[in-house]
Amino acid sequence: MTFDGGAAARPTGRSYLARRRRTGTLLVLPALAVLALILALPIAASLALSLMKADTADFRFGVFVGLENYATLLADPVFALALRNSIYWMVVEVAVVVVVALWFALLLNHPMGRWSVFRIVLLVPWALAPVANAVLWKWIYNSNYGILNFLGTATGVLPGPVVWLGDPALALNALLVAEIWKEIPFITLLLLAGLQNVPRILYRAGRLDGAGPWQTFRFITLPQLRTTILICIVLQSIWALKSFDLVYVLTRGGPANATTMLNFLAYRVSFQFGNLGLGAAVADILFFVMFLLALAYVRVFRPARAAERGAA
Amino acid sequence: MDDRRLVTPRGLTRRSLLKRGAGLGAGALALGAMPSFLAACGSSTPSGPKELKVLTNQPPDPAPPGVAEYSEEAFAKWQSDNAATVSYESIPYTQIHDKLATAFASGNPPWDIVYMSGWVPEFSKNLATIGDMISAELKSDLPPSSFKTVTWDGKIQGVVFTLSLMTLFYNTEHFEQAGLSEPPRTWDDLLRYTKELTRDGRYGWVNNYGAPEGIGGTANLWMSYLQQAGGTMYDEGGLPIFNDAAGVDAAQFMVDLWDAGTEPGSISYVGIADTTNVFTAGKASMMMNWPFMWKPANDPASSAIAGKIGAAVLPAGAAGTASIDGTDAFTVTLASKNPELATKLIEFYLAPEVQKRQVLDTGWLPIRLSTLEDADVQAAATNAPIVLEQAKAPYDSFVTPDYIEVTQAIGTELQRCIRKEKTAQQAITDASDQVAAIIKAR
Repeated sequence: MTFDGGAAARPTGRSYLARRRRTGTLLVLPALAVLALILALPIAASLALSLMKADTADFRFGVFVGLENYATLLADPVFALALRNSIYWMVVEVAVVVVVALWFALLLNHPMGRWSVFRIVLLVPWALAPVANAVLWKWIYNSNYGILNFLGTATGVLPGPVVWLGDPALALNALLVAEIWKEIPFITLLLLAGLQNVPRILYRAGRLDGAGPWQTFRFITLPQLRTTILICIVLQSIWALKSFDLVYVLTRGGPANATTMLNFLAYRVSFQFGNLGLGAAVADILFFVMFLLALAYVRVFRPARAAERGAA
Repeated sequence: MDDRRLVTPRGLTRRSLLKRGAGLGAGALALGAMPSFLAACGSSTPSGPKELKVLTNQPPDPAPPGVAEYSEEAFAKWQSDNAATVSYESIPYTQIHDKLATAFASGNPPWDIVYMSGWVPEFSKNLATIGDMISAELKSDLPPSSFKTVTWDGKIQGVVFTLSLMTLFYNTEHFEQAGLSEPPRTWDDLLRYTKELTRDGRYGWVNNYGAPEGIGGTANLWMSYLQQAGGTMYDEGGLPIFNDAAGVDAAQFMVDLWDAGTEPGSISYVGIADTTNVFTAGKASMMMNWPFMWKPANDPASSAIAGKIGAAVLPAGAAGTASIDGTDAFTVTLASKNPELATKLIEFYLAPEVQKRQVLDTGWLPIRLSTLEDADVQAAATNAPIVLEQAKAPYDSFVTPDYIEVTQAIGTELQRCIRKEKTAQQAITDASDQVAAIIKAR
């Protein structure tokens, strides 16, 4: 027996349910309008802009050029380099952040790691303002006064001062270290939350079956964290592609474009070169990649919700 | 009865809440619109002070009275005499170009006067032509070449307010220790001095090659060597002609200077402040620098080598000495409702007394020739005669509408050349091809 009437009680125009649905729609409409205004409209405008030749000094007189901006990008070696850098950056950042964050989360979930001070200390890098973080690392990496060179040479690890931001390969990886340092805390907290949701009974059952620490991690913790880890990977991938502040403050994309990534290239082309059409094309390609990642996020998240509903 | 329903204030139902919410929203909208309404009423009032809005640098970059601390009484008097109020938006130098770009793209820049650093050709369509509004007396007291970077398509669209040319700064104590009695005069001298001064954990030369683009960037620094070698950037048709012996020599000289003893961090320094820090810490003996660094470099509070700094014209290449222009200027936007008053304010910034206080209180040299020759000024800014002497030689920064894109292309190739990824000839050829493509796309 059902109390909501089921299919037999299909809402008619005057029924309570129909009025309730109509009211709900009306109440949601302002939020949808705001979303359309702040999300859909700029996205559409950016797509339209990428099909135009438009510069900052003459923006109002842009000329439609079709896919010319995209063709220009495909032939541009700097774009190719920025794309390669972005992919490298994303893959390394996601891999390192998720692995290290998982390790930290396991430590914090251990009875000895539950002291709240650990969590507060962990949050410090994440709580720093992005530009303050970048300036901090600029000083750490300074070849003359930086603490990294000081410690490295004092302990004999480095034979002499290293120009961390002067060598193309070194510079990109130096920025990565700074980025990873800042990104680990939040992912750690997400994974810690996931760990705390793993039913204790599974661990007790594992112990009864004689599972050791590695087997417990391999066959209980990891499978239980699968959805959380996937969410972390997708979110971190999106955030990695958005990286900008470290490049802007520390290297401005140099030396010789070695640290130029898509987000910084979009800024440089749009606002420094004044080529808004081409800059929009770079931004739209980046948007497309992030959109795919966001779709992946939604797909990852959906089964979990369905499972939760099923469990309920 | 166990009544756990949501308790609302008396008479407050969801429907009435919606109604009240709508009423409050309408009220808020009305309040939000009030300032615009009042402003609109105000704008129709003919009386009352006129307001001028100025976008400018934050000190220590060059800034006018009211932002930097000088000529404050004179500035207050000017506002009173002209029934005007001046409001400033002062932001870091590195953010000004991008802010201008977005504001001009919007078609509605909020300022009457904006600071420019080599961007006049780029934003020419958004700037008023003020050449005819500037007094003849002022024009006659400025170096004629100072108008070069603020003139585009034959229209004077701004006024440079500080003579900012790069000259040589050197550490006199290091020179004495190395037995060097006078500054280097030629490229050969400079290479030899750099080698001799590179010792005891310090370097002979330091520069900022980390940021390729813009005024003071890697490409701009190379332009000084280019002119010293007898080269130039463009032909009369605006096409690049720097892929010649002078262009290659200039690039090769940067490489030779690197090998002779340029401080290794130079490839990573993105601004003059980074470089000056190394020089004023006594870790490098020579550098090319803007005049405004003279004052902080000689201030014991910020410098370990205060009182031990000498200045000289830049060493000569095959064609003699040459420098580059900082091009710090004020311009009036086309959107200004009071271009005459805005030009008058710029003239105030360039008044002899204001120019004098500018150098005495901030260290930024004046652009007025009469003020540069003032005895007080020469006594306070002992580098002023050197800068004046440097100004007798070429000091072109070759600004164009696509200056940042052009300098990004050249500077990136020069970075590859300095890092030995390319020869000087390869780097200059590639840079020339890229600049030709940029100009063609213009």
